[in-house]
Amino acid sequence: MQVLGHKSPLRPWLLLAPALGVLGVLLLWPLARVVMISLQDYGLRQIASGESNYIGFDNYAAIFGDSFLWTVVLPNTIGFAVACVVLTVVLGTAVALFLNNLGTLWRTVCSTAIMVAWAVPAITGTYVWIWIFDPLNGLVSSVLDSVGLIDPATTNWFTERLSFYAIATLNVVHHGFPFVAITVLAGLLTIPKELHEAAMMDGATPWRRFWTITAPILRPVFAVVTILSTIWDFKVFTQIYLMPGGNGGNKEVFNLGVWSYIQSFAQGKYGMGSAIAVLLTLILLGITIVYMRTLFKEEEL
Amino acid sequence: MSALTGTPSSTPPTAGRAGRTVAASIDGSAPRPPQALRVKARKRPLPTAGKVVGIVALLAFALFPAYWMFSSAIDPEAATRGARILPAGVTWDNFVTVIDDGGFGHYLRNSIVVAIGAVVFSSVLALLAAVAVSRFRFRFRKSILVLVLMVQMVPLEALVIPLFLQMRTLGMLNSLLGLTIVYIAFSLSFAIWMLRGFVAAVPVELEEAAYLDGASWGRMFWKILLPLVAPGVVATSVFSFITAWNEFIFALTFLQQSAKYTVPIGLQKFFGENTTDWGAVMAASTLITLPVIVFFVLVQRNLSSGLTAGSVKG
Repeated sequence: MQVLGHKSPLRPWLLLAPALGVLGVLLLWPLARVVMISLQDYGLRQIASGESNYIGFDNYAAIFGDSFLWTVVLPNTIGFAVACVVLTVVLGTAVALFLNNLGTLWRTVCSTAIMVAWAVPAITGTYVWIWIFDPLNGLVSSVLDSVGLIDPATTNWFTERLSFYAIATLNVVHHGFPFVAITVLAGLLTIPKELHEAAMMDGATPWRRFWTITAPILRPVFAVVTILSTIWDFKVFTQIYLMPGGNGGNKEVFNLGVWSYIQSFAQGKYGMGSAIAVLLTLILLGITIVYMRTLFKEEEL
Repeated sequence: MSALTGTPSSTPPTAGRAGRTVAASIDGSAPRPPQALRVKARKRPLPTAGKVVGIVALLAFALFPAYWMFSSAIDPEAATRGARILPAGVTWDNFVTVIDDGGFGHYLRNSIVVAIGAVVFSSVLALLAAVAVSRFRFRFRKSILVLVLMVQMVPLEALVIPLFLQMRTLGMLNSLLGLTIVYIAFSLSFAIWMLRGFVAAVPVELEEAAYLDGASWGRMFWKILLPLVAPGVVATSVFSFITAWNEFIFALTFLQQSAKYTVPIGLQKFFGENTTDWGAVMAASTLITLPVIVFFVLVQRNLSSGLTAGSVKG
């Protein structure tokens, strides 16, 4: 009973109050506000006057009625996210299985190296990939030019939608696979070795052992890394915005995040930009709810 | 953790045949001897040929961009480098250029000020909140944890519009303080989630012993809990620092005078004005990247265990 006395019912709320206050003012209230702005024709005039100008769901109607959403923005956003998630999870898992089979020394060396790949900031990593694929003097175009595959004077990968996104995918996968590899490796280390040894004695091939032992045990781990990667890859902004044409010069390469930002801050149509941002948030919310379900099934909070 | 001490080289993985690293290891370890020799094989200090190929491929893939960045930064003829794998020479001129002419000395200072401000406040707030959710049982506790998780999913693109308007009204658009306040909020939920694991790992019995000795809650917190979660606070702080250091979209939107730029915006503007000066752009990138890599590798163990503490059992 002595101990319970220290657990007064008010104390947790006192400890939580500052953090909840900050989250409320800087995250929840802005979220409510972006929804309100998305229901207005909010432009530079409204910014100056501070007046509201509600127009109902007109911004949403305009977005959904725009073929640009269906032919460019959504295919870019979804196709890019799916490609990145699949490649990130497959590559990360392959690397984790490989690391799991190395001795301690080499495993440490390799995981430190992939930590470096993880640590390189999105902004500087993106500039390095731009430099590597630079049409004039970049590494890739020089190599391809020297073997006669391309003419650098007429080749620019950043102007074509598909090659633009191929480079962006390489950038994001390279940045994202270490998280999957390290997390899956942590899971692999918890699997009792006896399971694999018993299966080996029964003559199971490594491929079969992966699908009958490793995959079922690590199902929750795979669920978490897949869903987290999906959430991250849907809202990629920096890596697209910084590539040539990504900041508004080439509408063909817009994704939801970039479209929202350009509408707001380049065109001054904050209402329209907010509506696009709300759409992106709702998609992420859906994925997040799936994430929560997975998480709470596995763990008691 | 037994797997850490040594792995039988006769269990090659095959799951991701897509990766050349893995495919290579299958070839290399296929003719391994059967069960009886396994113990001996386990002690072999050198990896098999297939594994060597795998290790080389993995290291090359993982490190190449960082290598290309740094080697271009010290290359006196970086702009015409093409496919030269080694730099043409070693020079520090590019670094001098970006610090003296590019203003990066100034941008680095701005970034440090903002990041440290965000780290101090978010760590304190997150630690208090983490103690609340992992040490107390109270109504709405689970709802608060769900909230903390949920806000991490909110896209910054959705927050930047209302916060831009808000900061504009408050006249804080061009101020490092405004940016710091926003960064506190962004690192907070992740920091709470991560610290929660560290606080929960401290045995409750230690706290109870302190109470039996007559300590108050505050005294217990300072003398028992804080020293024990200090490594977790350090790891969390490093992560918050990196978040603030790397943040792009808010800095891009809020900061309009070069005197206030943080390093990501400094780099973006510098690239806009010196598009073909790749040596200088890579030197600036190196200045931004190096502290992050050092910090990140230092706390890697804590970070990955903290990241997975909430999501993975075991």
